Amino acid sequence: MKETVIETKDLLKKYRGRAAVENLNLNIRKGEIYGFLGPNGAGKTTTIRMLLGLITPTSGRIEVFGQDLRKHKLQILRKVGSLVESPSYYGHLSAVDNLEAIRRILGAPKSRIAEVLDIVSLTGEEKRPVKGFSLGMKQRLGIAAALLGEPELLILDEPTNGLDPSGIQEIRGLIKRLPQEQGITVVVSSHLLSEIEQMADTVGIIRQGQMVYQDSITNLQRQAGGEMRLAVSDPEAALRLAEERGYTGILQDQKLVFSRMIDARVALLVKALVENGHAIYRVEERRQSLEDFFLQVVGGEES
Amino acid sequence: MMWRALSADWLKIRGKGLWFLVFLGPLGLVAMQGLNFGLRYDYLREQYSADLWGGLLNNVAAFVPIALFLGGTLVCSLIANVEHQMSSWKQLLALPISRTSVFMAKLVLCLVLVAVSCLLLSVGTVGLGLVLGFKVELIPYLDVLRIGFMSYIAALPVIALQLWLSLANRNQTLPVALGITLSLVSIFSMLLSEWVPLTWPYMAWESSHRLLFSGAGLLLGLLILLPGALHFARKDVD
Repeated sequence: MKETVIETKDLLKKYRGRAAVENLNLNIRKGEIYGFLGPNGAGKTTTIRMLLGLITPTSGRIEVFGQDLRKHKLQILRKVGSLVESPSYYGHLSAVDNLEAIRRILGAPKSRIAEVLDIVSLTGEEKRPVKGFSLGMKQRLGIAAALLGEPELLILDEPTNGLDPSGIQEIRGLIKRLPQEQGITVVVSSHLLSEIEQMADTVGIIRQGQMVYQDSITNLQRQAGGEMRLAVSDPEAALRLAEERGYTGILQDQKLVFSRMIDARVALLVKALVENGHAIYRVEERRQSLEDFFLQVVGGEES
Repeated sequence: MMWRALSADWLKIRGKGLWFLVFLGPLGLVAMQGLNFGLRYDYLREQYSADLWGGLLNNVAAFVPIALFLGGTLVCSLIANVEHQMSSWKQLLALPISRTSVFMAKLVLCLVLVAVSCLLLSVGTVGLGLVLGFKVELIPYLDVLRIGFMSYIAALPVIALQLWLSLANRNQTLPVALGITLSLVSIFSMLLSEWVPLTWPYMAWESSHRLLFSGAGLLLGLLILLPGALHFARKDVD
């Protein structure tokens, strides 16, 4: 099993008696991209602020790199780079000076500024005041700032929020590259499943402050897998035959409906039906989109 | 740690009008007295004939407390605003640096900037005196330094309070409004009890127990810093 980078136990944060985050148990392993998913206001940012020590949990424990965040905050933060919500920057300063202000606190070598500017492709723009930058450039500057201290863990809160498609693509590519090239663990939050689906290895879904789903993205895709539908000449008899062969299915709108199965089993079933004189009109696979699955998980208890 | 934060802050205040303010305050006071003495030169020269330098210093000193309160308020607010403006607190405080260091760096920056103002006031006053033809041999160096700095130390409680409020509130209306109110009230220092800290910068120049008032200011200032720093270190950053 891989090393755990972030682990939270029964994390709770209350604002005026209302729990913004409740019973949250995160488990993030080294080298993965962890997608933190949830609708707006679900508690993603609150959780991330707690992970960075910006706000204190009402109760519960946070361990990062196996150390208690409360006791070893500065040691931990030295290895963490972060970008929280809207970009933070000093508008009157140039990109280089913005990074320099952070570099002075980190004590990183001066040459690192040019390196991170290169990583986020801001080279050539570094002397302009940042207030004239586009949102995408500001966001990239924020990522450059997060990378300045050569972190082992990168925490990005809604890094693509408000960007245009090409900006989103650029940031997404950047995030995917980091774990491969530099072995960095990345936590990235978003309210868009499609975003997370294209980047993350593991996904955690949070809803009203509670974790409702945490698994690998492949398992998520499998669970959202969908079904096989067969239209045949005599559905009742066909279903009986299928059940004799060990398939579990139901009858819906005069069609046989099975849960998703591997190709070989589909072939065997079709063969058995044909051999027993059934005419097969259609064999179709219907996939439930992840978006539907997400809505199901997120909105489940309300409906 | 604190020095690192301070060196970063030094960079951040560039082009934010802080240096302009630091120069404007003392030079404004000196220019005002330049006008005062320039317009009624003969009259004032006769009135202060016994101690020309003392007369000039007294005239300048009358406006030092209000300038300190106003200047301190604005410097604190502008320093805090550098971080408030683009919500940079979350970025700054997620860096591996203790909140106490960040707070101390802001405090030292604020104190240094006001100290530069005080120094400029002393230099400017001597300059004005010389322009008015007062004798070089008679310059009361100690009093010249005292004019800014003793009152400055006595004004520390208000500066500490302003720093706390400015750092704690994203909205600067409250701290700035309070600072201006305090400055205006301080004009009536001679009418207030000497137990009111607002009168201390005035007393630190005027009273026969000057050191007492500066000392009290230093003490109360430190006392107010404590809860300010503690609050800053504990608060949730949004």
